[in-house]
Amino acid sequence: MSTGVTRRAQNQDPLNLGPRLLRRLYTEWLRRTYPFVSMGSKVSIHHTCKIDRMKAHRIKLGSHIRMEKDSSLGISLPPEQEGDPVIIIEDNCVIHWRSQIGAKNLIHIERDVLIAQDVLIVDQNHAYEDIHTPITDQGFTEGGRIRIGEGTFIAHGAAIICSQGELVLGRNCVVAAHSVVTRSAPPYSVLYGNPARIIRQYDPLKEEWVAGPVRAPQTELVP
Amino acid sequence: MEDPLSLIPRVTTKLFSLWIKATYPFAAAGHDLSVHPTCLVSRCIAPRIHLGNSVVIRKDAWLNVLPEATGEFNIKIGDNCLIGAQNVISAKNLIEIEHDVIIGTSVLIQDHNHAYEDVTRPIRSQGPMPGGRIRIGQGSWIGHGVSIVCNQEELVIGRNSVIAANALVTRSFPPFSVIVGNPARLTRQYDPSKRVWMGATARQTAAVDVVCSGEIR
Repeated sequence: MSTGVTRRAQNQDPLNLGPRLLRRLYTEWLRRTYPFVSMGSKVSIHHTCKIDRMKAHRIKLGSHIRMEKDSSLGISLPPEQEGDPVIIIEDNCVIHWRSQIGAKNLIHIERDVLIAQDVLIVDQNHAYEDIHTPITDQGFTEGGRIRIGEGTFIAHGAAIICSQGELVLGRNCVVAAHSVVTRSAPPYSVLYGNPARIIRQYDPLKEEWVAGPVRAPQTELVP
Repeated sequence: MEDPLSLIPRVTTKLFSLWIKATYPFAAAGHDLSVHPTCLVSRCIAPRIHLGNSVVIRKDAWLNVLPEATGEFNIKIGDNCLIGAQNVISAKNLIEIEHDVIIGTSVLIQDHNHAYEDVTRPIRSQGPMPGGRIRIGQGSWIGHGVSIVCNQEELVIGRNSVIAANALVTRSFPPFSVIVGNPARLTRQYDPSKRVWMGATARQTAAVDVVCSGEIR
C-alpha cells in the first residue's frame, strides 16, 4: 500500500494516459474556478472527489496533495458564512479512496500524512438528544477540533471522531485498520482497536519502541 | 428475470474482462473472468497475479502488488471466487485465496504493513515491513468491511470459515470457524467428531485474547 510506489508503477502503462489527463484537467479546473483559500502546486484531485464549490473558501490545500477516487472534503457550515479555513491540508498528504473528511470547526492535517481507504475524520457529530425530532433534522453537535501530526499513517477503515475539545495525534502516529479514535495521542504512538488504545509507543529516554503507553511528554519530541 | 437495461453494464464488464484477459500479461487467467471496468489492476503488476476460472471482481476493487515483491506470483485467486466491490488486496509476499471463497464489500487483505519505527522520517517514506503470507481456505465467506492483515509469518484462515462484518483478523484460525470482532475472536466452530457446530470454549477465546492484546501481529 505504498502509494507513491504504486503511482510510479501505474505510470508505466501507456494506456493510463487517459485517466491521468482527466485528473490533471479536473485539478486545473478546480484551481481556476474554486475559491480555495490557497492551493499549492502539483496537487492532484480525482474527478469523482466531492468538494463543494460554495464552501471551498474555507479549505486550504498545500502542495503535492493527492486525493483519490470518491474521497470527499465536506464542510457542515452554511456556504455564505465567512471565516478562517476549517480544513487545512499541508504538503505531501495522500487521501485515498473513499476517505471522508467532514469539518465544522477545524481539521488540520499536517504534512506527509498518509490516509488509506475508507477513513472517516469528523470534528462534529449528529445531535440526537431531542427525542421528538428525527436525528436528521437535529443538526450537528458543537464538536471539537482535530489536528493530525506530520508523518502519521491512518490505516484502512479507521475513524477519527472528536465530539468536543481538541483531538491531537502527535507526529508519526500509526492508527491501525478499523480503529476508532476519540482521544488524543502523543507523538510516535501506535493506536489500535475500538475504542482505540495505545499498544506501542516510542520511548524517547530509552530510544526504543516499547509495548503499551509510556509516560511520554505531551510536547513535540525532538528526535 | 433480468432487467433488460442491465444489459449495458453487463456488456461493458464483459468487454473490459475480455480486453484485460487478452492484453494483460497475467501469470494465469482462467475462463469466464469478469472484472468491472472501474477496478484498478495495473498492467505492469499483472504478471504477479494468478487468476483461476470464473473469478468475479466487482466495482472499484484494487489488486496491488508492491514493486519489492519477488517470486513467481504474489496474488493467487482460485476458481469461482468473488471479490466484492471496493476490496483492497495488497500483496508483497503471497496472498492465496483458495477456490469458492466469497468476499464482501470494503474488505482489506494485506500481507505487509507500513514500517513506522524510524522516528526521524514520516511513515509515508519508510516503505513496507517485511510482511508475511496469507492463505484463505476454500469455501470461506468474508463479510463486509473485514480487514485481514499479516505483518509477519503466515496467516491461515481454515476452510469454510465465516468472518463477520468489520472484524479485524491478525492471526490464523482453524477450519470451520466463525470469527467476529476487533480484535477477532472465535465464537463458533464445527466439531468434526460430534458433527455439530459448537460455541467456542472459554479457553479458546481466552487464548485468542492473549495473543491479540499484546500487539498487532
